[in-house]
Amino acid sequence: MKRNEVPNCLLCNAPLNEQMTWKYLLTNAFPRTICSECEQKFEPYHTTQNQEVTSLYKYNDAMRDFLHRYKFMHDTLLAKVFRDKIHEHLAKSKAIITPIPMHPIKLKERTFAHVDQLLKEANIPYQHFLEKTTTETQVGKSRQQRLATEQFFKLKASPENIKNKDFLLIDDIYTTGITINHAKNVLLEAGAKSVKAFTLIRG
Amino acid sequence: MQYKLHNHNHNHNQTYKGLIIEPKIRDFFIGRIWIRTNAPFPQEKIETYIKYNYFKRILGISSKRGFFKKHYTCNRCYNENQSEFIHYECARCNQLCTYCRHCINMGRVTSCTDLLIWNGAKPKFPTYHILDWDGTFTEAQAQASQQLTDSIQQNHNHLIHAVCGAGKTEILFPAVLAALQQGKRVCLATPRTDVVLELFPRFQKVFPNTILHAYYGNAPQQQGLPQLIIATTHQLYRFENAFDVVIVDEADAFPYTFDKALQKAVFKVKKQSAPLALVTATPSPQILAKVKREKWGYSFIPKRYHGHPLPVPTFESLWSYNKMIAKGKIPSKLIQWTKMRIAQKEPFLIFFPTIQLMGIATPLFQQLHEDILSVHAEDVDRKEKVTKLRNEEIPGLLTTTILERGITIKNVQVAVVGAESKIFTSSALIQISGRVGRNVNYPAGEIVFYHHGITTEMDEARNEILRLNKEGFGK
Ligand SMILES: [Zn+2]
Ligand SMILES: [Zn+2]
Repeated sequence: MKRNEVPNCLLCNAPLNEQMTWKYLLTNAFPRTICSECEQKFEPYHTTQNQEVTSLYKYNDAMRDFLHRYKFMHDTLLAKVFRDKIHEHLAKSKAIITPIPMHPIKLKERTFAHVDQLLKEANIPYQHFLEKTTTETQVGKSRQQRLATEQFFKLKASPENIKNKDFLLIDDIYTTGITINHAKNVLLEAGAKSVKAFTLIRG
Repeated sequence: MQYKLHNHNHNHNQTYKGLIIEPKIRDFFIGRIWIRTNAPFPQEKIETYIKYNYFKRILGISSKRGFFKKHYTCNRCYNENQSEFIHYECARCNQLCTYCRHCINMGRVTSCTDLLIWNGAKPKFPTYHILDWDGTFTEAQAQASQQLTDSIQQNHNHLIHAVCGAGKTEILFPAVLAALQQGKRVCLATPRTDVVLELFPRFQKVFPNTILHAYYGNAPQQQGLPQLIIATTHQLYRFENAFDVVIVDEADAFPYTFDKALQKAVFKVKKQSAPLALVTATPSPQILAKVKREKWGYSFIPKRYHGHPLPVPTFESLWSYNKMIAKGKIPSKLIQWTKMRIAQKEPFLIFFPTIQLMGIATPLFQQLHEDILSVHAEDVDRKEKVTKLRNEEIPGLLTTTILERGITIKNVQVAVVGAESKIFTSSALIQISGRVGRNVNYPAGEIVFYHHGITTEMDEARNEILRLNKEGFGK
């Protein structure tokens, strides 16, 4: 990992003046990519023990702005912003990490898979077992409509690779839970032992 | 109305009769450089126009082999700062692709992005324009205005150095009129959206016969082929080889000083021999040096239009204001100052160095008067709040540097809290001081720099104001 990789805050462009400390030399910590002022604007989300979905941050103004720049303005570089926290949470996971996939047409439009990119930057290995079968998005649908949506994932791998294994689904944001539930059901029906989920944001 | 164009396009050698060019599409693209997939027209139409050579297509990013590694250039914003080029695995072109972060707010440009430039016939602009303005010039304004008009007519660059409140906008009117009447296309650019929003209706009113558009972030789509464009400097990235005259107002404004990127943007939007005019109250030494070296035309107006001197800032210590405010207390000097303004019914602005400090201070000030409000850059109600102050519906506003320029409020009194902070450069402080005493009926007023130690920037600002007053009044 290069040290002066990011000289300015990726969000507000303020100089970062990263100090070379022993902590950096001795541990394998990621160099910072945003300044502490920007960092403070993100609110941690505290997942309670019995929740099956773990999330790192609340959806507030700063997060809305981040998501807009990353996902819709396509500033791919911003995948680095939360890499240390994502790494911290996923590096020791024993379950198989599998991102929620994008439809190929959507992927061509965005030019990058935003969930995969978060994992890549955080140095977390992952595998795809699912395929998205519709280009429709959940945005703009009522809860009723969302609930009524037919299954929009299908299995990409042979069931032997799924059977009796533990999975951790990864997505950028958790709102109604429908996306995660659909994906979860496909894996469970194929014989998965357990399916949990992790998202960067809790809507 | 639709035109049939018969091979007006000299760049292709086949004759295509029968492709009907929609003026709407042509007018949108003339002078612009636009991401193909972001065009506000159906992609099939764009496809057809490309096929018939009505567009020149260029790649978003070019690279050339450098000594050690590749050197990238953004073909939209001309950025060459290599640290602003990001490389990643692209799922559209299926290879390592590069995008420019410098102009990403205008829609991302990558190595696999097509940029479109209109390649078809360009209609002539009308020459019949009128200036509907019955104001009068002071002697200094009249002289500067004439000098500017002369420079532009001779395709000469020009700098207007005018104090805050000199009536800069009016000075531009005759020069713009002369250019329009020759069928020239004119762009007036300024770094701030607020200034665009203030200037646009003023120009609209005095040029009733001219098609003019305003461009800024999230501006509505406007109809017709505009001959006069008022835009934020950011929007210039979306034009190329488009204008016969470019005027940049407040060229020095934070945060986009007349830096390399902006210079490049300005030079690419104007036609090669077209003149550039800069208008500013606080020209940087770099601009002044350039003006001298390249023998630009130069006009200097040290006096305000109403003939009164600029209010001179006073310095007041406000030791450890930061800690006091953090503890929930406004320093007593500041309380006195604010209470005095409220008692005398004088509208006031109090500038803060950071949003954070202002955020803590706002409820404290509201204990002095519940109607006191605060504004910052991302505040969506910014315009309404300023209007409320102007209409005397609220006693005063707390603000970040966002209101340092462009706004005019009758009899406004100004305090700067933490004037020693880095963000308050001498030019920012001059601009802030320039808010005071602009109205002919209230030509004086308070401008106080409250500080935790005097900086050279504060001294420079005060000395420059004193120097301008000396120039203007020979005292
Ligand atoms: Zn660019
Ligand atoms: Zn690409």
